[in-house]
Amino acid sequence: MSKLAIDFAIAFRNLVQHTRRTLFLGGAIAAVTMLLVLLAGLSTGIRETMIETATTLSTGHLNVGGFFKVTAGQAAPVVTGYEKIEDVVRREVPETDFMVQRGRGWAKVVSDTGSEQLGVNGIDVRHEPKFASVLQIVSGKLDDLAQPGTALIFDNQAEKLGVKVGDALTYSAPTTRGTNNTIDVRVVAIAKSLGLLSSWTTFVPIETLRTLYQLRPDATGVVQIMLKPEAVDHVNEIAARLRTTLEKAGYRVMDADPRAFWMKFQSVSREDWTGQKLDVTTWEDEISFITWTLKALQGLTFVLITILLGIVVVGIMNTMWIAIRERTREIGTLRAIGMQRGAVAWMFLLESLMLGLFGTVAGAIAGFAIAAALNGAHIHVGTGAQFILMSDHVKLAVHGGLLVFAVVLITIITGLAALYPSLRAARLRPVVAMSHFG
Amino acid sequence: MSIRTHVFVGLAAVLLSLSARPARAALTQPEMEKLLAAVDDRQNSSGDWRASAYLEQKEKDKVDVVYETEYYRRSSDQKFMILFTKPKSSAGQGYLRIDSNLWFYDPSVGKWERRTERERIGGTNSRRSDFDESRLAIEYTPSDEGTETLGHYTAVKLLLKGKPNLDLAFPEIRIWIDKDTNNVLKRQEYALSGRLLRTAYYPKWKKVYSESKKTDVWYPEEIRFFDEVEKANSTLVLIRAVDLRPLPANLFTKAWLESKSR
Repeated sequence: MSKLAIDFAIAFRNLVQHTRRTLFLGGAIAAVTMLLVLLAGLSTGIRETMIETATTLSTGHLNVGGFFKVTAGQAAPVVTGYEKIEDVVRREVPETDFMVQRGRGWAKVVSDTGSEQLGVNGIDVRHEPKFASVLQIVSGKLDDLAQPGTALIFDNQAEKLGVKVGDALTYSAPTTRGTNNTIDVRVVAIAKSLGLLSSWTTFVPIETLRTLYQLRPDATGVVQIMLKPEAVDHVNEIAARLRTTLEKAGYRVMDADPRAFWMKFQSVSREDWTGQKLDVTTWEDEISFITWTLKALQGLTFVLITILLGIVVVGIMNTMWIAIRERTREIGTLRAIGMQRGAVAWMFLLESLMLGLFGTVAGAIAGFAIAAALNGAHIHVGTGAQFILMSDHVKLAVHGGLLVFAVVLITIITGLAALYPSLRAARLRPVVAMSHFG
Repeated sequence: MSIRTHVFVGLAAVLLSLSARPARAALTQPEMEKLLAAVDDRQNSSGDWRASAYLEQKEKDKVDVVYETEYYRRSSDQKFMILFTKPKSSAGQGYLRIDSNLWFYDPSVGKWERRTERERIGGTNSRRSDFDESRLAIEYTPSDEGTETLGHYTAVKLLLKGKPNLDLAFPEIRIWIDKDTNNVLKRQEYALSGRLLRTAYYPKWKKVYSESKKTDVWYPEEIRFFDEVEKANSTLVLIRAVDLRPLPANLFTKAWLESKSR
């Protein structure tokens, strides 16, 4: 048997010998690991849902939007001549998976029994590849949205407005030139709510939106660019590049501003210019007003795990001190028969690393199992929680990478916690250790 | 915001209606245009005046909201100011128009906010035209739609169509003008799609003597606005205590409005 195997065997036996202590400490490590896995799974789940929902409902990974100002004080979320912009993107952003153009607006939506201020997205449903896969239609048909004078709304809006498929709605809003206008539409599809973002989003065919706002056929609200999966993490660099490229192509481009387009109206209206300016944003910019929930959750996870790890570290150190005290005579004997100091330290270190590994693996498995059970149970959450979770049920995304990360991180921390007591044990003089009574 | 702007609308409409006794309306094109010009002119040169207004806004599924306000207006430099006195939660808040800027003051935060055009329009029942001076004669071409009886009054009914290439809040307005007094009795505003958006009624008019103008002027004691898209919404405006004496020069300042909430 090799020396390493012997070391492992000794460490394992020591752990088994002190069953109660091992179980107690191992259990604590497992619990912290499990909590880390669950909390990180929750925030990853929210993040994934957020990206998926947001990139279907309100933003591309990358957006070329902008404002058109007829007068200095009046800004409309309009991009003119969007086809030329699409050409530039096609040429200069090879990471593009696909592109869609959508109209943007904000209108009072009135039914026979109620009204709401809602966002209006003008889309061409035949060219929205992700739409059908993400939206869950509860009544009506999504394809009917290709007909002019139709609308898709979400179930929570349908409830508030008291409408069902086939009912009429009136959209009332001023045009880009300030003239009041209305359009009458027929609800053709009602989709299941997707949390916060869908609470104020409705969809109409882009031609219908153009009629409401009196836009020309070459005008739209935004060109949404979906990137290939591997490029999504580099979206900021691509945005910066696209900004420069558009400027070189002769467009006036606004400075990078990490806010959603509708939060910029006030500042844009204050600026003294007229005509068209483009604004390149990322998906994170467009939903910056809700990512704070994610950041808060991540912050909370970090604080909680740090505190719990602190407690575990103190526990491990304390346990190691006790172990060393109990085994002082054993250390003395081992040293007297020729065991080197390094080997003594290694023995104790290995013991706690092994404890950490067992604990974290057990915790990771438990965390994974609980996450799977929670996902499987499809736990429905209330409206308040939907705003944060971005979904109507709890979803935890526990991936392999997260499990490995949790196991490695906490095992290393366990090892580090044992380092100092182990070194102290190794420094004991054999003669003193052997004569120790404790 | 919605309610306050609605209040604003109501009060702005008072100005629109304040009219001296004019000549009898005629039905020929130049006379119709002259009549509109007179309506515009009377609103835009009504001198200094102040009034108290009581406003009651009804919205579907919401509690009725009641406001009391003080309204100050100087037509010579197009300044006006609204100060909220009731309810308590809004007391001290106010709007002030200096040049083309409209400012809103909230004493609870002690800050002035410039209201942009979009904000004023977006999401409220207010219309851009409510905030601008009346330019009916310049912006619209009137056509005669005959006479109509409204209660005890016989009214000249005019259809005003927006002139091309102008950015108007309403491309079409229908207006009923009392044949005897030329007071506006009813006004309907239409969207670009042709849909009726809002109807305003001016059922009660009162005549007062203006020292500065040396003539009688009329003001509506009651105005009722009906939202025609969202049928359940309406606003009632009651005008009290109209005072036509000149206003002090320091009135239309941010400092004055701020001082009222200290």
